[in-house]
Amino acid sequence: MSDPVERYSFINAKLRAKIGLMRESKIIDELLHASSLVDAVAVLRDTKYHEVAQAFDRTGDVQQMELVLLQMEIAMYREVAKFLEGNSATFVNHLLGKIEIDNLKNSIRLWYSSIIRQRPIRYRSEYLFKEKILSPIDWTALINATQWETLVTSLKDSPYFSIINSFQEQELQENGLFSMETALDRSWYETLLENQLTLSETDRQAASAILAVEIDLRNLLMLVRYGWYHHMEADKVRQLLLPWGRVVRSDETAAYLAQSPQQRNPISIINRYYPGLEQEHIQEDRSHVHAEEASILETLKIEEFLSDRRKAMYQRMLASDPFTIGLSLAYFFLFKEETSMIKAVLNGKYYGFEEAYLRGVLE
Amino acid sequence: MNLFTKPMKLLTAVVLELTSEAVVKELLQLGALDFVHINKLDPKQMEKLSFRPSSISRAMLQDIRHRVEALLRQGHLPLPTSDTLDVKNLERPDIDAYNRILNELTTSLLSLKDKQKETNQLLMGFEEMQRYIKEEKDEYLDLRVGQVSRGKSDDLQEKLIAFGGILEPIEDTDSFISLTLHRDVSQVDPLLEKFGWLESSDAQLQQRANSLIKIKLESEHQKVLKDREEIEKQVDAIVAEQQSPLFAIWANLRLNELSDQIKSYFAYTRNTTLFSGWVPADQAGAVEAAINRGSGGQCVIEWTDAKEVPRQEVPVAVSTSKLLGPFQRMVNNYSTPEYGTINPTIFVMIAYLLMFGLMFADVGQGFVLLLIGIIGKSIYKKNPLKPDGMISRNLTELLLYLGAAAMVFGALFGSYFGLGLFPAIWFNYEAVVAGEAGSSSLFTSVYQILGLTLKFGMVIIYTGLLLNWINLFRKRDFLNMILDKNGIVGGVIFGTGIYIGFGYVGSGYKSFPSDAWITPVMATCLLLLLARGFINYYIKVKKGGEKGNPVGVIFETTFEWLIDVLEIFIGYLSNTLSFMRVAGLGIAHASLMQTFRDLGDTAGGVGGIVIFLLGNVLVIALEGLSAGIQALRLNYYEFFSRYFTGKGIAYEPVGLKTNPSVER
Repeated sequence: MSDPVERYSFINAKLRAKIGLMRESKIIDELLHASSLVDAVAVLRDTKYHEVAQAFDRTGDVQQMELVLLQMEIAMYREVAKFLEGNSATFVNHLLGKIEIDNLKNSIRLWYSSIIRQRPIRYRSEYLFKEKILSPIDWTALINATQWETLVTSLKDSPYFSIINSFQEQELQENGLFSMETALDRSWYETLLENQLTLSETDRQAASAILAVEIDLRNLLMLVRYGWYHHMEADKVRQLLLPWGRVVRSDETAAYLAQSPQQRNPISIINRYYPGLEQEHIQEDRSHVHAEEASILETLKIEEFLSDRRKAMYQRMLASDPFTIGLSLAYFFLFKEETSMIKAVLNGKYYGFEEAYLRGVLE
Repeated sequence: MNLFTKPMKLLTAVVLELTSEAVVKELLQLGALDFVHINKLDPKQMEKLSFRPSSISRAMLQDIRHRVEALLRQGHLPLPTSDTLDVKNLERPDIDAYNRILNELTTSLLSLKDKQKETNQLLMGFEEMQRYIKEEKDEYLDLRVGQVSRGKSDDLQEKLIAFGGILEPIEDTDSFISLTLHRDVSQVDPLLEKFGWLESSDAQLQQRANSLIKIKLESEHQKVLKDREEIEKQVDAIVAEQQSPLFAIWANLRLNELSDQIKSYFAYTRNTTLFSGWVPADQAGAVEAAINRGSGGQCVIEWTDAKEVPRQEVPVAVSTSKLLGPFQRMVNNYSTPEYGTINPTIFVMIAYLLMFGLMFADVGQGFVLLLIGIIGKSIYKKNPLKPDGMISRNLTELLLYLGAAAMVFGALFGSYFGLGLFPAIWFNYEAVVAGEAGSSSLFTSVYQILGLTLKFGMVIIYTGLLLNWINLFRKRDFLNMILDKNGIVGGVIFGTGIYIGFGYVGSGYKSFPSDAWITPVMATCLLLLLARGFINYYIKVKKGGEKGNPVGVIFETTFEWLIDVLEIFIGYLSNTLSFMRVAGLGIAHASLMQTFRDLGDTAGGVGGIVIFLLGNVLVIALEGLSAGIQALRLNYYEFFSRYFTGKGIAYEPVGLKTNPSVER
């Protein structure tokens, strides 16, 4: 295998240039500032997202625009993987697997809505990405399956077969898809951790530093979202946690879950790992909003806090050794963050939300 | 065209406040004044002045203008340009009315877009079914033929639409075709049952249904597709209908932005308005006349010569012929020349074209570049709204020059698409590279070509030095003009170095020349360089600068001198040798053409022609790009570094032509 400088010099120079342009860009700010969806689309016209604007011209459909963004995201992973080799390329491809899993989850949700909940899905299957991402999945067969077994068969050549096959239709009917989706996510992390071991030492260090934080942040998010906001019972929350990282093993987590759902306070457990989240910070003046909305806003504030910690980690990665896979990982994060914001703002503009409200919720 | 930057004058004017609006219009129309903030004046004068916040937020004007632009672009209409601006139409913007118009238009567009979305969703449903038919995935479709025995078929049709289904009557029968997706069967079955669906067992009818439904699906698909496109056209039409008011709003907003930009430089006393700005001396009369016109002669105008202002504060205007546009852009891309110095554009043009020609000498390939330039320029001219492609507008202009330079040098070297169709006017470059040049040739070996480009480099470097001396003379910086490493002393050292180098080569690389003058000249030059540090120190102290520790001053000056000496010897040597790349690329060009010719000859027939053509394409694309970049590099590093400080600030007057994206 080539040395790190040889392996990463070209792709990292390319990514640094892209990151530089991304940082200079004011797309998100201008999108938020736009007074309508028409104005927001105009912001995208002279950018690398011009195809998204063209999709709006052609169809007037925000979901079609989202599909174009998803296609761009997949193309971005493939482009980076193309310039890497060996285990680094495999690792990047595995990251693309997360998009495949999300697409699979969306497809199964649609199937569930159609077959189990008996709601016609009409055109909605056309918003799914049906080309091969990584694994040979017959997306058309999946979405058209009238039996659970047929759906499972459509995944027979993919690595998700055993996970999906371990669930029964009856079980899904009763409990929903959540456990299955968690199992899919967990399997992705598991394979990612295995893949990470095949990387060179410097790459492994960079990737494991990121993964450790990613896993902890995800677990904290689960503890807040399900353990606090949804008042889920301890056993169920435990099943949602990824079995790696510091958070899941900590005494604080055990103590947090041991409390009754109503008594749990997420601030102390978050501050244990990421100090700086103050009670006042999340409980700003909410007297003018309904209690339920206030609770949602508080959860959003905590999630935003955790998201900022994640962002800070990737920013640090940009300043670290340039000849590791860290820069690629940081770029994926930044790109994903930008496209997610574009999706969110376009949807916000479609529903007519004001700039101030969107900034409050998204920034 | 002026060889130097344009002389500038600083205007300070006082007009009555009641005439200030008219003066703004006149100045906007003229677009010659590069305003300076009045707070740069004497603080005592400042005390008497006041500043007024703008009555309309410029940011708000810009926001509304952007909304207008967004709507125009949604309607696929070109954006108005500064040519549509007329100061006579400048009026106070009615923000509420503008917002009302824009909101109404946006609402109607969004409502159309919603319809388009619904149509698109319908289309997606049909496309899914069509795809299954085309891919023979019949198992995903639920095609039935039968009769509706209960209720109305129209009602059933309505209900099937919820599943993306179709109910189509079969002509001359009382039967219908129902097409839905098989995945919806559990919901469609009860529905059909509700309408008393009686399945037909007629095999012929079933077969007929198969072809009928394909036709129906195709016609529905086409209809919906047309509907979707129609909506997009409606969007365009609605915006087009409003083009005139939108253009008018845009123009007034833009005029108000510019007017506000000018006013932001104004200062006020109780009854008067004061402003200041730079004007090229040749436009001073026009500016004065404009202010007089606007103020009805009730104004006080004072002019300050640029000489009375620190050079670095004077903005730089250059006058360049349109023909030199591509080369002026090269200079601008590097930086702005210092005020009062030489505008190097003409020298860049000559040097760049000579370098490119020497590296890419071929009449045929040059003609191709020229052709690309002409075609590209004409395409852009015909489509002024066409966005710049890989070959941009600027590049098409440059290609005209590059093509011509390549053709001239191609004729000098006798190369026509790599073939020697006509004898070389100067010498046959490719024959020299191939070692086949006859003894009658002016050049017989590649070493001579390398020597030629080195001499060319020396001329370029000396031209740079000469320009530097002229600049320094005009700046009255005689000390650096004589004693700097790029001054006359540096030039003498470089000249002596050249003499030594030629002497060494002339001796067959055996000995350096030992002329008696060399050592004293070099020693004197080095001593003069050393003296410069001390003279500088003396001048600094004389002007009131701080006295330093004598040992420290000696140490610092000597150290700087050592670095200067090193820079002179290493810098001049590397700068000169850098020009060998001109020969290198020229030789590579000749070798590549020779190779493709040989390969073509070996393959023979059509294959040979293809190889020859592809070889030429490859050379034009890669060598052309490479020669262009290297010529630019030599200009920026070897030529500019001798005389171009780039410390100037660009002259940016406010006027109707001001680009919105570069407003200060």
